[in-house]
Amino acid sequence: MKRLAYVLGLPALLFAGWFLLSDGSENFYAPPLRQILRAFADTWTVERLRTDVIPSLLRLAAGYTLAAAGGIAAGVAIGLNRRLRAAVEPVLEFFRAIPPPVLVPVIMLFAGIGNGMKIIVIVFGCVWPILLNTVEGVRAVDGIQIDTARAYGIDGPARIRRLILPAASPQIAAGLRQALSIAIILMVISEMFASSNGLGFTIVQFQRSFAIPEMWSGIILLGLLGFALSVLFRLAEGRALRWYDGLRAAQRRS
Amino acid sequence: MLEVQGLRKVYRSGGRETEALRDLTFKVDSGDLVCLVGPSGCGKTTLLRCLGGLLEPTAGTVRIDGHEVAGPPPGLAMVFQEYGRSLFPWMSVRDNVELPLKQKRLPRARRSTLVASALEAVGLAGTETAYPWQLSGGMQQRVAIARAVAYEPATLLMDEPFAAVDAQTRADLEDLVRSLWQRLRVTVLFVTHDIDEAVYLGQRVVMLSSSPTVVQDELTVDLPAERDQLHTRADSRFTALRTHVYEQIQAAKRGRPTPEGAV
Repeated sequence: MKRLAYVLGLPALLFAGWFLLSDGSENFYAPPLRQILRAFADTWTVERLRTDVIPSLLRLAAGYTLAAAGGIAAGVAIGLNRRLRAAVEPVLEFFRAIPPPVLVPVIMLFAGIGNGMKIIVIVFGCVWPILLNTVEGVRAVDGIQIDTARAYGIDGPARIRRLILPAASPQIAAGLRQALSIAIILMVISEMFASSNGLGFTIVQFQRSFAIPEMWSGIILLGLLGFALSVLFRLAEGRALRWYDGLRAAQRRS
Repeated sequence: MLEVQGLRKVYRSGGRETEALRDLTFKVDSGDLVCLVGPSGCGKTTLLRCLGGLLEPTAGTVRIDGHEVAGPPPGLAMVFQEYGRSLFPWMSVRDNVELPLKQKRLPRARRSTLVASALEAVGLAGTETAYPWQLSGGMQQRVAIARAVAYEPATLLMDEPFAAVDAQTRADLEDLVRSLWQRLRVTVLFVTHDIDEAVYLGQRVVMLSSSPTVVQDELTVDLPAERDQLHTRADSRFTALRTHVYEQIQAAKRGRPTPEGAV
């Protein structure tokens, strides 16, 4: 109960502050929150969710999943192979340093303006933290654990599945967490450039047609979505890495 | 049978060469329990890694039952000093013990029999679903021993397994190793830096010189097969053997050649 009060306290305070301070606002671009909330209820109907929110989320899921699969697979390969690492590391640092939104126009030239383009943008943006964290996690696998696996004949695919991936999983999870917020940003940005549906498209559409309360309501919806996704991620992570939290707690005690 | 012939290991890093093992030759008969003891830093771990096929020697050969070791040989199990790092913390005790058996492609029923009896043998029945880090250090090392036992090895290599546990736990684990060895009839090579432990456990003790390592001396421990912490350690024969090993280790530290002499 007390914890819940802590968690909800500040958001409630901010919301109330916004509500009260904006109540008498005459500014066209910053309408009262009361008006925004009314627009929220009118705008985000089931129909709207189906035509705009669901396509966005599907593209997000596709891009994020592809980036996770590709990033982890490449990260394991690079992490396990010293020569490969020496060869690709400078290139990886270069690609990582490019802000992904700049690539949207370029990717549009190759991939058009459909779902493919948007998914590629998401993949390209969020594969890097996953990849680099996986490489680090794989490199940091304990030498004694590796010796143990070798001594007991655990090699080949079993070694990767039973030792490398679980041992690197805390670090991989850290990469996935970073990638999730990047993926949400890129989902919106890719839809702002060229699109006929999606959350980013709708928000830009509202802005261009001076439907300001509706625009604000879209931004609130985005915030709520991002929050919900990160809560889901934390739940999944907490379940999968229960052993890691326990191990760390045990190490702190001793 | 484990035969080590002219084993040499030189580490190269950059332009520097470090000779860890110079020339080691000794034999462990099938079903024997031999302790290797030497001054600290004498390359015991290097030797054991060579024996286990985890490290390639610069020269010389290791043969297990006549087969030359190149890579980890089947039928050989290892117990490491760092039990906390040798067990996989993301797996339960049962899964840790069972993993090498899965790799051996044993059927499920056989695996669970082996896991249950190995955990029973080390006195850990009932901890199957716990994670290793929920157990004490001594219990974790028991899990590592159970994993080795369940593997049904012909040869068991133990690298200072009790160096990191407290004295009382250590005494219990020493008795556990002797009783498992007697029951399972495996060949055990036990590396330690503790002279008392070497004499108490071994049927034979091989003493190593300081690095670069050669065999300093060998000794047959003619104590009765039934040993216990209280009486064996108070036995005058035990003390005599212990003194001999101690003197050899001291001589090894000073770098003197082996003085010949009956014990």
